[in-house]
Amino acid sequence: MDVLINLSLNGLATGMLIFLLAAGLTLIFGLMDVLNFAHGGLFAWGAYSGTWIYATTGSFLIAIAGAILTGLILGLLTERWIIKPVYGNHVQQILITLGLMLVLSELLKVVWGPNQISASPPSYLAGSWELGNVIIIKYRVFIIAVGILVFGIVQYILKNTKIGLIVRAGVMDKEMVQALGINIQKVFMLVFMIGAGMAALGGAMLGPYSGVIYAEMGLEFAILAFIVVVIGGMGSFPGSILAAILVGVSGSFMAYYVPSLSLAVNMLLMAVVLIFRPQGLFGLKG
Amino acid sequence: MNNRMNILYVITAVFLLVLPFIYESRTLLILLTQVFIFAIFAMSYDILLGYTGIVSFGHAMFFGIGAYTIGVFMKRFDPTIPYFLLAVLVTIVLSAVVSFALGLLTLRLKSHFYAMLTLAFSGLFLVLAEKWRTVTYGNDGFTFRIPDLFKDRTDFYLICLVTMIVVFAILRRFTSSPLGRVLQAIRENEQRTESLGYSILHYKVVASVISGVMAGIAGILYSMSLRFVNTSVFTMDITLDALLMTIIGGVGTLVGAIIGAGLIEFAHHWLTELAKVHWIFERWIIFFGIIYILAVMFFPMGIVGTLKKLKLNRSKKEEQKAEEKIAS
Repeated sequence: MDVLINLSLNGLATGMLIFLLAAGLTLIFGLMDVLNFAHGGLFAWGAYSGTWIYATTGSFLIAIAGAILTGLILGLLTERWIIKPVYGNHVQQILITLGLMLVLSELLKVVWGPNQISASPPSYLAGSWELGNVIIIKYRVFIIAVGILVFGIVQYILKNTKIGLIVRAGVMDKEMVQALGINIQKVFMLVFMIGAGMAALGGAMLGPYSGVIYAEMGLEFAILAFIVVVIGGMGSFPGSILAAILVGVSGSFMAYYVPSLSLAVNMLLMAVVLIFRPQGLFGLKG
Repeated sequence: MNNRMNILYVITAVFLLVLPFIYESRTLLILLTQVFIFAIFAMSYDILLGYTGIVSFGHAMFFGIGAYTIGVFMKRFDPTIPYFLLAVLVTIVLSAVVSFALGLLTLRLKSHFYAMLTLAFSGLFLVLAEKWRTVTYGNDGFTFRIPDLFKDRTDFYLICLVTMIVVFAILRRFTSSPLGRVLQAIRENEQRTESLGYSILHYKVVASVISGVMAGIAGILYSMSLRFVNTSVFTMDITLDALLMTIIGGVGTLVGAIIGAGLIEFAHHWLTELAKVHWIFERWIIFFGIIYILAVMFFPMGIVGTLKKLKLNRSKKEEQKAEEKIAS
């Protein structure tokens, strides 16, 4: 029982981190029809800038805010310079964002050096609670809380605000929204920035969770996020949180009970979903 | 015009064949050998990207299969020609089976799904190579001996060159065959090709199998040239190399892939040399990345494609002039 709780919490925390990354991907894809392969690069930039700001200022809150700001700025620049010229051409989008991914992760090495950097949580989030035999690591609870919070906020904005209405309408029919006098370009930019900001937030929270950060982690987590997006269904926001939790929890259980299979479990999950439901669990588009 | 191009190819091939006998530079020889190996790899990638319009991010998978197969065979058994041939056969079968299974599973999906899935699957191979220590020796990799025939650098250069020429000839024949034409039709307009009664999946899988097998052969030659193999053959960097070469050289032209391979390999060589001048050149991937982004944005047809377009425009203009003359 204790093991089950620990494994579930562990898996949930990983799942939430992946969710922060996958949610941005799925928002951007759902509205803009752009598959952003540079998303992992934004994630890694969030991790590096967050860790760096925490080390210089000593405040974890400023670090988180700084990382999000980094993500927003990078998102703005990316949308303006890289994505805008290739709207509507899938192959070019894939190629160009991959090039950006390359530049982003190499730039990390130029700014912060090629070696791994260690990161730790602030004192008030370090350590753990002990309830009988169950050990609950505080930082994991924090990650889960932030994940749920972000999901709640985004879901609220999407369902209950005017901008959310515009975004949802944009997903359905871009041209119609444009014809109604709404500047869809601006909405695109905003959505892209929010997606990038969420990725950067995920990155900043990963640092203290895994203990070390390195430039290649962007691609590693991007692959996980892609798998989640495929399982959940492209463009489906609830799908991405469900799939992220599924991937996180099944990974954590497999790592404990069947370690040899743990690395393949995501692929197997994805393969099964693809065979029976190629559009993903919640997906509408094929 | 086609004849003139053929003569040009033959002259280049003959020049490259006699080069090691008239100009003895070990560095150049090794560099050119690398160019030939990556040209094979880039051509195989171009079958997917350039001729069928599929973006794969997992091409390193097949490269790695070839590299590891030859490594394992040469390490476990004697480095003799029969075992070498057996390794080649195993590589061909393995990469064909993997690309076939993968293609059947994923090629039904839209381009971006496919790109993501290939990325994920090649990630799986990388993890497999790192974890299956009894066979792959993990991250460190292992060295192995190769048959005597391939030991001499000049001989190996010639073998790689001839293999490249043969692959070029086979792929050129393939792309101009009726089957290759269908692939190009799929690239241009998938729906229309389907409505003409062609089974898209079937043709895409064929393209992916052929491309996979050729990439496996490139992988064999690569690890033979190093006499060493480690998990880096499965990394994204290898796929990116192929992508860069095809894009810069010219998508949809086999010669473009060869020219791209030459450019990238030489540029890589020079930039690493420049690292002694300034440390920023150690991070040469940044320059590649920027050039690549600019190429996708402003130069989507690459060198060969742009040349072809210029030529086409010129001949059109000449036609117009001729017409004007007749009219006047």
